[in-house]
Amino acid sequence: MGKTSKDKRDIYYRLAKEEGWRARSAFKLLQINEEYNIFDGVLRAVDLCAAPGSWSQVLTKKLRKNTDNADEVKIVAVDLQAMASLPGVKQIQGDITKVSTANEIIKEFEGLKADLVVCDGAPDVTGLHDIDEYIQSQLLLAALNITTHVLKTGGVFVAKIFRGKDVTLLYSQLKLFFEFVTVSKPRSSRNSSIEAFVICQNYNPPPDYVPTMVNPLLDHKYCDFNQFTGTNRFIVPFNACGDLSAYDSDTSYPLLLEGQDSYEYKEPVQGPIDPPYKEILDKTKAIQINKV
Amino acid sequence: MSLLTRTDVTAVRFFSNYILAGIGSSLEVYHRDNGKFIRKINVLKGQKIYGIKSTNSGSKFIIFGGKQFSIVELNFNYGEETVLERQVLCPVVCDDWLHSGIFISENKVALLTAHNVVQIWNTENETLNEKYISKDNSILYSGMLLPLKDDLLVFSGTVFSEVIIHRCGDDLPLHHLKGHKGVIFSINYNSEKKIIVTTSDDRSVRIWKVDNIENFDVDSKDYWINAKITCVNNLYGHMARVMRSHITNDLIISIGEDSGICFWNHQGKLLRKVMSHQNACIWSLDADDRYLVTGGGDCGVILHPLSLVSEYGHKEIVPIEIVTPKKVKFTARRNILIMNESNQLIYYDLISKTSHINDLNHTSTYKLLSLSSCKQIIAVADMNGKLDIFIENCKGDAGIIKIIDTKLNLGKILSLQWAGNRHLVVCSENGQITVLASKEMGIEVIDKFSLPPCKEMWLTASALSLDGKILVVGDRVGHIHIYFHGIKNPVRTFSKVYDRYGATSIIIKRNEFITTGRDGKIKYFSLSNDVHSIKYMSCKDLEFQWLEKFLDKQEHYICGFHERVFVVYDVKNNLKVLDVACGGGHRSWDAVRYIEKVDDNFDEFIEVLYLKNYTLYAEKFQLSKIMSKNVINGIHSKEINCLKTYKYDENNASTYFLSGGEDTTLRIASSNLTSQIKDHVVFKQLSSIRTVKIQPVDKNKILLLSAGGRAQICAKIITFNQDNNEIHPEELIDYLIKGRDKERKGDKNWRDCSIDFDPETRIMDLEILKENNIFTIITACSDATLRIFNLDIDNKKLNPIKEIRYHKTCILKTHIFEFAKNTLLVTCTTRGDVAFWDVGKPEKNLSEPIFSTHTNKSGINSIDVSIIDNTRFLLATAGDDNTIHLNLIQIQKDINSMRVTKSWSSDKYHCSQITGLKLIGDLMVSTGIDQRVTVFTLSVKNEVKCNFFSQHYSDVSDIHGLDVIDISDESVTITVFGKGIEVIRIPKPIK
Ligand SMILES: C[S@@+](CC[C@H](N)C(=O)[O-])C[C@H]1O[C@@H](n2cnc3c(N)ncnc32)[C@H](O)[C@@H]1O
Repeated sequence: MGKTSKDKRDIYYRLAKEEGWRARSAFKLLQINEEYNIFDGVLRAVDLCAAPGSWSQVLTKKLRKNTDNADEVKIVAVDLQAMASLPGVKQIQGDITKVSTANEIIKEFEGLKADLVVCDGAPDVTGLHDIDEYIQSQLLLAALNITTHVLKTGGVFVAKIFRGKDVTLLYSQLKLFFEFVTVSKPRSSRNSSIEAFVICQNYNPPPDYVPTMVNPLLDHKYCDFNQFTGTNRFIVPFNACGDLSAYDSDTSYPLLLEGQDSYEYKEPVQGPIDPPYKEILDKTKAIQINKV
Repeated sequence: MSLLTRTDVTAVRFFSNYILAGIGSSLEVYHRDNGKFIRKINVLKGQKIYGIKSTNSGSKFIIFGGKQFSIVELNFNYGEETVLERQVLCPVVCDDWLHSGIFISENKVALLTAHNVVQIWNTENETLNEKYISKDNSILYSGMLLPLKDDLLVFSGTVFSEVIIHRCGDDLPLHHLKGHKGVIFSINYNSEKKIIVTTSDDRSVRIWKVDNIENFDVDSKDYWINAKITCVNNLYGHMARVMRSHITNDLIISIGEDSGICFWNHQGKLLRKVMSHQNACIWSLDADDRYLVTGGGDCGVILHPLSLVSEYGHKEIVPIEIVTPKKVKFTARRNILIMNESNQLIYYDLISKTSHINDLNHTSTYKLLSLSSCKQIIAVADMNGKLDIFIENCKGDAGIIKIIDTKLNLGKILSLQWAGNRHLVVCSENGQITVLASKEMGIEVIDKFSLPPCKEMWLTASALSLDGKILVVGDRVGHIHIYFHGIKNPVRTFSKVYDRYGATSIIIKRNEFITTGRDGKIKYFSLSNDVHSIKYMSCKDLEFQWLEKFLDKQEHYICGFHERVFVVYDVKNNLKVLDVACGGGHRSWDAVRYIEKVDDNFDEFIEVLYLKNYTLYAEKFQLSKIMSKNVINGIHSKEINCLKTYKYDENNASTYFLSGGEDTTLRIASSNLTSQIKDHVVFKQLSSIRTVKIQPVDKNKILLLSAGGRAQICAKIITFNQDNNEIHPEELIDYLIKGRDKERKGDKNWRDCSIDFDPETRIMDLEILKENNIFTIITACSDATLRIFNLDIDNKKLNPIKEIRYHKTCILKTHIFEFAKNTLLVTCTTRGDVAFWDVGKPEKNLSEPIFSTHTNKSGINSIDVSIIDNTRFLLATAGDDNTIHLNLIQIQKDINSMRVTKSWSSDKYHCSQITGLKLIGDLMVSTGIDQRVTVFTLSVKNEVKCNFFSQHYSDVSDIHGLDVIDISDESVTITVFGKGIEVIRIPKPIK
């Protein structure tokens, strides 16, 4: 297939390259902001599961607008994978489910609190929905746990969530910590995708809550099997976000977009990093199974 | 109530002569030897079964998955083949995901959670006795508990590529197994062999040796405290993640995402790799010393005899010096015939190991050899027309004698084939085709035909009908020609049926003929004395390219080459039978299938003959020893996107499922709705299939349309034969919507226009409109365009008639219905817009909808309409906003004046995308990604009233929709589909 076919298939992939974002995910955060103004007055933010870094790019751009003094802006980006550096972004390479990583983040803020925590973490999917949903929920809960240490009261937490069969259990957990919880799907997420984002506003932990990293937060469980099927107890309002006139990620657009008179193919902003098992890939390539 | 479930098989286990399979939340029991379905037992609630472990005594099982576990007692009655169960413990819900569960005594179980916590439960009083939290609490992807006589050992498979071994309750780990480069997916240990086997995301299998210099008991903690564990083998055999493994006395068996099963010996040598489960991931396995059972992502369970590793074929070198061999063949007595370059035909008797040489007095070195279909009669001809016919004797000392020695006056002979046992088809210079038959000691000409001009004018395959009246031939450029007796030129030609080389074989059955070629396709045609009834019917794609011929009369086994490997494939069961690494010596090989008696039983054999490095090999396979068997037939190997059920006759016991999916296949399966669903035909498309629609054209005949990625639309006529339950498909259309003209021409502004012209447009949904035998097809596309075609069934043509660009974004769903004497089409988009079109009127007037509205906040993934009366209908839409909207729509004066009069909506009943919605009289059923099926009662009078009635859970994940199978006074039977299929019977409210 030609190299333009991905441009044709995925409008946001193409736009990301044209606008200089490292990943198409940038549009998701931008569209969430269009609806919820999550960057209002924000100077300190944590970007969990940040690689390759398009959310950090968005944060840098937006937070700098909130002050005349760029030094006041503090962004900490965390990921398992290394990512190319970004000016003004402090990077930590680590697993967000680990205590040591959380401590590093807390240390970075030197006792101050963050105004905003975002998390775009997603596991490598296995193809078994329940496992993928479980692992994803653990990333979200780990992010929430870190949030309870670093987020100021009244702060905002935005995280990717898989709307699978037990998502209401996560909603009920989030509702314990935030006054407003809504779930939103940016127009740049595909209709067929299970992902959405929870926007949790006004951080307000239960009065007796003591943040701890030792016992990870576990998700809730159904009180009984009657709750398992039946009317949902925890209803979280859904919203689509992003301007109505925004491009739609499911729609196939011609290469020549409306209002444009030329199209030029652009290389990706950040070339793909080596696949994690590059040497192994090479090894398995060499296997001639039929030679056994 | 769930009647039938097919989804990922995430756990399998042998128990005496039975196979236990974890399918969703239920355990299904099958008989190992005859494959009979015995029982289905629901053990968990809303969780897949991932593990089945028994007590030492063997009657009690702990069955776990997700955050639940159950204890079940099974009592097998071997004589009557029944099993009774007693649920000792109903599903207990733990606060975390479980990776391992074992009995540590008759009434105590230990469980390991994904946060590395060990829980000990008392099963008598269902209480959590103890809980041991490990310090390493980052997420585990796998784990194993090993009970010792004086302790409990915990093996944790972490995300950071390491296996940690610690004693339960102990803070300091005993061992760290380092070396993997990815998440650990499984851990196994065998105490006799003292090895640990781990599998990982990094595609490798590692074998770790547990050593101990001192003499501790292997099941004591001291043994493990003082053990030294080293990685002795790091094995690569899978092309993707390795999910699980199993250790037997002789083997280590691993299964993976690449659909492969690797058999290793304990020294780490890869003995054999078998591909199974139709390219789906293999999730689960169990093995004893004789059998392996696997469960896969294609929802199938397959039983493999382990003799396939040790007794895979019996290879023999045929001890014969062959100088410059040209062709080798098996004869009827399964002796060997060799034609060499030195003008000789050698007959080799495999039993007496003697050979007999027949000198051929041919004058040309271009020689052709062909064996009759019974393999007893042998024809050799040279280019100059010299023809010798030999016959093999049936009794006595094996040998061949020449019965005919003649010269044909047909010019240069270019090809020669037997058509059956009596006729020879010769093609000579200038495309002369001559059909010959033997007559007394000579030869007589039966028919003469002429081959239309092409490059290299000769035949690659031919077949003659039983009455000798029809000849079907394939030429060198891939055309198939049909000749009738007495007519010189073909009465019918199918152009370019195959690409290069032409058809490799042709067989004629009663009223069809079947061809094979080197593009991996078996093609089926109808055959008749009436030219107009000779039609291309359908095609079957195989996993390997180069097909040669069928080995049996029932067309079960087809052989050919996959790159350098000789392959035999079972077409009926979609299973590979065998492969031989013959090196691809395509010129000199042969294969036969036969039945032979072994120890009082008849068994099937396949014998393969091939020449490799100047040595002739004969390799014999006893099929029962190497062939895997389906216990549960696989279905789609990925998500099913669309499905329609069909019953041509209320009295017929079978319900047909016509489905298309992400695996790019379109399948027609039949089901008894209780224990069985089996594919009858499988078609491949270029990309994922997103929609299937059917339209009855006759009592047992339907028009089937399917469409999806790469803008492909396919149409078929499917005939269901009532007498034998067979399905006869006839392919009408395989159509690709072309890219827009501007793109195709490559405007000069389009720099980088090395552009591929593949349209990236997807067809999202379609409708069939039938009016006085005129079929109109309306497709909804991802580029927001509606495209309308006329389907000409007689001429097999799809003619585009109109494109309508009205919507701004991708159209997701369509629906068509009759209302107030009009035919209305509804289209729904990713933005929650709904438009109504009056499609009954001539298409040219169709450019604007008659009514449009906005219902959902986001994409609409399901829609249904129910007619209330002459002026009102109810529109139901639901989708990504997990909300169901009901809108009562009323017409004022005429169809062009619609308006919404009443509405109802709710987001309370699903927590994720709603993908299925049906209005069934006064009921509404909805389903979605959250795997819940919700039933509502509905009443539309002056208000729209909708009340929750019941909710049911489905084991099928990623549900893409639902279809109604049957409605009775008491219940509604529906099917949901996604990653699998489930048939559910839902009770109706009691009036
Ligand atoms: C969808 S990407 C994030 C994209 C990013 N927001 C951007 O805009 O460039 C998900 C990331 O989650 C990271 N991740 C997954 N599990 C993690 C964990 N346990 N700790 C830290 N990062 C993790 C992955 O490495 C991956 O880079």
